[in-house]
Amino acid sequence: MNESVGIHVEGVHFGYPGRPVLRGVDLTVRPGELTALIGLNGCGKSTLLRLAAGLLKPDEGRVLLGEDDVTRLSRRATARKVALLHQSAPAVPGMTVRHLVRQGRYAARGPLGMLREGDDPVVRRALRDVGVEDWADRDVDALSGGERQRVRLAMALAQDTRVLLLDEPTTYLDLHHQLDVLQTVVRLREERGLTVVMVLHDLAHAARFAERIVALREGRVAADGAPKQVVTPGLLAEVLQVAGRVGEDPEGGWPVCYSDHPIAAIEYENQIH
Amino acid sequence: MTRRFTALGVLAVVCAAVELVAGRGMSPGVVWDVLNGGGDATERHILFQLRLPRLLVALGAGACLAVAGLVLQSALRNPLAGPEVTGVTPGAVLGAVTATALGLAGWDSPLAVVLAACAGGCAGAALLWLLAGRGRGDPAQTAVHGVLVSAVLGGLTAMVLLVEPGELGSVVQWLVGTTEGRVWEHWHLLWPWALVWGVAAWLLAGPLTLLRCGDDIALAAGLSARRARTLALMCAVALTAGAVAAVGALGFIGLLVPHLAVAVFGADLRRSLPGAALTGAVVVCGADAVAQLSSRLLATALDSGRLTLPVGALTACLGAALLLLVVRRTPSRTF
Repeated sequence: MNESVGIHVEGVHFGYPGRPVLRGVDLTVRPGELTALIGLNGCGKSTLLRLAAGLLKPDEGRVLLGEDDVTRLSRRATARKVALLHQSAPAVPGMTVRHLVRQGRYAARGPLGMLREGDDPVVRRALRDVGVEDWADRDVDALSGGERQRVRLAMALAQDTRVLLLDEPTTYLDLHHQLDVLQTVVRLREERGLTVVMVLHDLAHAARFAERIVALREGRVAADGAPKQVVTPGLLAEVLQVAGRVGEDPEGGWPVCYSDHPIAAIEYENQIH
Repeated sequence: MTRRFTALGVLAVVCAAVELVAGRGMSPGVVWDVLNGGGDATERHILFQLRLPRLLVALGAGACLAVAGLVLQSALRNPLAGPEVTGVTPGAVLGAVTATALGLAGWDSPLAVVLAACAGGCAGAALLWLLAGRGRGDPAQTAVHGVLVSAVLGGLTAMVLLVEPGELGSVVQWLVGTTEGRVWEHWHLLWPWALVWGVAAWLLAGPLTLLRCGDDIALAAGLSARRARTLALMCAVALTAGAVAAVGALGFIGLLVPHLAVAVFGADLRRSLPGAALTGAVVVCGADAVAQLSSRLLATALDSGRLTLPVGALTACLGAALLLLVVRRTPSRTF
């Protein structure tokens, strides 16, 4: 149970009618690795996470979690292996923090198990992990954006999985709360050996917190490697369509980007319209 | 939480007591006498063969409609969902009326009425499902389509009535919703049905709570959202059909009582489903008592001995006002 689980994506194609999204992705995430997925809007980052979480079926190729083909597992069995934090979530009127986090136990307890009362040690640990146990009885809808994101992270942690997928966990948050969420993820991954894949828009965060950066461009892997190898002016231009320079953090040594202006903004606009 | 249930239970007993003495012709003192074993044969008949079953049917139907409404609102993630605006109630009425008109069901075969109402309720819900198409996720769109479906089904019901007027009096009672003239036979049919489907709905409390969080979250947490929703809708349709077959289309109970229940008992459906059942029972029983009392007053004022106010007319008026409140308070934010 405590063994780390890797993710193998093999030759995956996926698309919606008339709109291919992923055009042949091969990717192996090693157990316990912290990987950042980057790329422009619509390049297939979120789709790749959803495929890895078994929420979508690939048109071609397959996704393995450890040894298991995700599409062969039941919904509940998948949710016991992998937790996915979505980019945004709807309001949940009347639900308290503790109650929402408790919903993360569904995969482990099942529909009838959820009817039983009783505090679950995993729920208590998840509340503690993100530091929300002090206000666990407040309404989720009354919290600030940063607090809500921590609560949602706690819900994903309550699934007690070896693999954690995060889809833009820092969207809508101010810098303070962005760092807060990312540091929590880094800490938990170190403590428990979780395999983490997160979609990030901020290259600075990716370069600083991830061990490995995978860049997607038009449904294919465009670059893959340690931040120092991957984050280059070439990557900025090719994958993010930004002209910029790359330096080095004077203390930490991780790459730092100085982005100047979008490249060929007009051609790019023409292309998408 | 226990105190809230107790308080509501006390309220239910009070409403039930008022309901028992609210009818015409028997003073509270006489009712008390009869309950203690006194009274003459007529009084005993009125209380035990007419008022008691009527009271129980009112309680049961209210519970059914409220639970059905809470299940629908949770499964569809739509605060404006309810049996009457998702085509279930008008479909059930159409089924019951059609079956009666065709001679397949009637007052002498109440089970056939329940089954016909069930079939109609399913058909109504299916019609909305097809019509809403891709807009299913949007509460406002679903509500608009629901109004459309209800109008069409109401029109079809009117057509059946025009072609086959038959037992028009009893049919009109279905359209508005009334507990007038309900006897033990209705209760014996209602309670096992309500119990089975009510328990089924409660067993779905876990999946329903997750569905309230939205499909994305529910799926990621390991719930097969579509299957859970189908099961939940089956429960809601069956509960509504049972209530409609017993008392007709009582307006707004299924739409508004769930909001009251969630406000009082929270979003934990393990508690708010039984809470909704209790609240629905109290509301319908209380409304029926008020309807009977006002019928008495109106009858005296208008000097018309036969005038009776159907409880459905009262719940519809009450409900319209409350609905306005809900619509204004509905949040649309995401996080």
